[in-house]
Amino acid sequence: MKFGKRLKQQMQETLPGWRDKFLSYKELKQLVRQISSSPTQSNGSLGYGKAEKEFVYLLNNEIEKFNAFFMEQEEDFVIRHKELQQRIQRVVDKWGQNGSQASEANYKDEMAKIRKDIVDFHGEMVLLVNYSNVNYTGLAKILKKYDKRTGGLLRLPFIQKVLQQPFFTTDLISKLVKECESTIEAVFPAEDGKKTKEPKQTITVAEEGIFRNTVAALQTMQDIRRGSSTYGHFSLPPLNLPDSDLTQSIQLNSPIPII
Amino acid sequence: MEARPTLSIQRSGAKQLSNMGMSGALSSSSPVLPAPLQETYPKLPDSQQLSTIGAAFPLTHTSHSRSVQSTKSSHYAEENSASWNTDSLPSFLDFPVNTFIESSQIESSGCNTVLPSEEFGKWADQLISDDVANWNELLGDTNVTDMEPKMACQVSKPSPNFQAHESQVHQQLPVPSGEIRAIATPTSSANSAPAKPRMRWTPELHEAFVEAVNKLGGSEKATPKGVLKFMKVEGLTIYHVKSHLQKYRTARYRPDSSEGSSEKKLTPIEDMSTLDLKTGIEITEALRLQIEVQKRLHEQLEIQRNLQLRIEEQGRYLQMMFEKQCKPGMDKLKASASASQDPPVPSSDAVPDSPAKTELKASQLDDCHGKTGAEPVNANTRLEETSWELGEKEKAPEQEAPRDFEADESSSQPSKRPRTDE
Repeated sequence: MKFGKRLKQQMQETLPGWRDKFLSYKELKQLVRQISSSPTQSNGSLGYGKAEKEFVYLLNNEIEKFNAFFMEQEEDFVIRHKELQQRIQRVVDKWGQNGSQASEANYKDEMAKIRKDIVDFHGEMVLLVNYSNVNYTGLAKILKKYDKRTGGLLRLPFIQKVLQQPFFTTDLISKLVKECESTIEAVFPAEDGKKTKEPKQTITVAEEGIFRNTVAALQTMQDIRRGSSTYGHFSLPPLNLPDSDLTQSIQLNSPIPII
Repeated sequence: MEARPTLSIQRSGAKQLSNMGMSGALSSSSPVLPAPLQETYPKLPDSQQLSTIGAAFPLTHTSHSRSVQSTKSSHYAEENSASWNTDSLPSFLDFPVNTFIESSQIESSGCNTVLPSEEFGKWADQLISDDVANWNELLGDTNVTDMEPKMACQVSKPSPNFQAHESQVHQQLPVPSGEIRAIATPTSSANSAPAKPRMRWTPELHEAFVEAVNKLGGSEKATPKGVLKFMKVEGLTIYHVKSHLQKYRTARYRPDSSEGSSEKKLTPIEDMSTLDLKTGIEITEALRLQIEVQKRLHEQLEIQRNLQLRIEEQGRYLQMMFEKQCKPGMDKLKASASASQDPPVPSSDAVPDSPAKTELKASQLDDCHGKTGAEPVNANTRLEETSWELGEKEKAPEQEAPRDFEADESSSQPSKRPRTDE
């Protein structure tokens, strides 16, 4: 149940509107249990019991759910991405690059807003990629369980199918993420002096928000990949996080607003 | 994979189609048909990626449809049970998926995509009250020959469901008429009208959209119909445009509200001008940290995804090799697969890759004799039994896979099986 627990955690940490869009892992597990304990099932049986049907039905539903949600979000991101670019362009046009013209306060103001928005936007997109990944992982795990418990042969074809689903093909989103990153670097160039310092003390991230979710996602990912008893050829190796003190220095508190 | 949808749909037959849930007044006689429709939507431009799941069966999640679903799936199961070990496997998976997709799509009411059920329902109602001629005209250039808004079957234009490369695999549904079952009975509840075809909006497509909107006077003035006509994108329907326009308007005029889903904002920065410099710097630092973490997460996600892809690829490849390799001895082996190994199912794609096969066969035959009761064999015993009956339909590994496989000596993947082609 380790993954199931992690998944639950992720779901709790995630953005509110996303909570019901994740994999119904527990339900699927229960079905697998049902199937494997059902007396009518025997290895190599060609019949298809009710629980199996339900299992496949649910799986397909889940995949569809992911696709629908994912594509909707993707569409939103495509739109917002363009809007952000245009917004930046407008500000730059209006007040010149680096606010060379007109009121500097205004410029800074606008830019600050844009900066926050773009960073959050970036985060949201990354969270969507994470969403895709978490669900894929869950599917892979549950299919593995299914095959193992029931002697079925569902896993491979299903996974092959899943690999082609829209929700798993996150290339566009990744591309947008990278574009976002370059925009940020271009528009908000890092001031070298400040970059060197790493957060020495623990930073507490308490409020709900994108940042919190991405930190949670990273931690969860790390945990899930810590290694399991059923480590096998289809398992992912432990997560190798460079700069791990980056995330270790961030601590998630319960989502009670500080102020 | 491309072959699958066709297979599955063909197999389904009209009977199943009629079983497909239509919301409300479903009549089993209503022809449900993506196929002809798909023909009217031939290859879509590469810049658009359309979701694959094909069959535009509007299954709803009403209890009725649920029973219909199970009927269908059970029907399907029965149909396939005898041939479970044959290539019905893919079809079993595909067909229900196609249908289930529809129903789940309906479920996602929160979704603002083309397929939101409520929206479709409303829009459907609206259209029904409009001129039927209007509807015809609207879809005129889509070559739809026959349109019956009253059709009980609500399946909207399915074609955009297909990815460009799959669009050729039009599901050859037995229903002949090219009806757009877009608007069926207005009685359908919010759940009923699934404009199944989901459009996958790419930046290029969006650019075209924005251009059209601008030419038509801006997001407020532009109408979905006008935009649709202007864009002249095959496979794009008014549903798609309408919902996209809605999102677009929201994004422009209320940029904050369109973000996330009721995400609580962090401390507002709007008053930044009033904050002193120090706080400004702190906020900047916080943002910098945030972006760093996000970048890190993204990086790891990409790595993880690639790993997952390769693991599956490798698994497929291994399995294929084992099949060939252990052919002679397999019948005797009944050992159960070890716990950590997944008995891979032979790919049910009916696309054998003959060059790869012969290539591998040579190397495998040599190795086969060398390996006895090896771990890999165990893992595949169950597989082999069924694959045996399958007549060794094997999935052709991507040509890349063998090379990756061999080149991948130093990959970070854990405990690889002993290579058989070394």
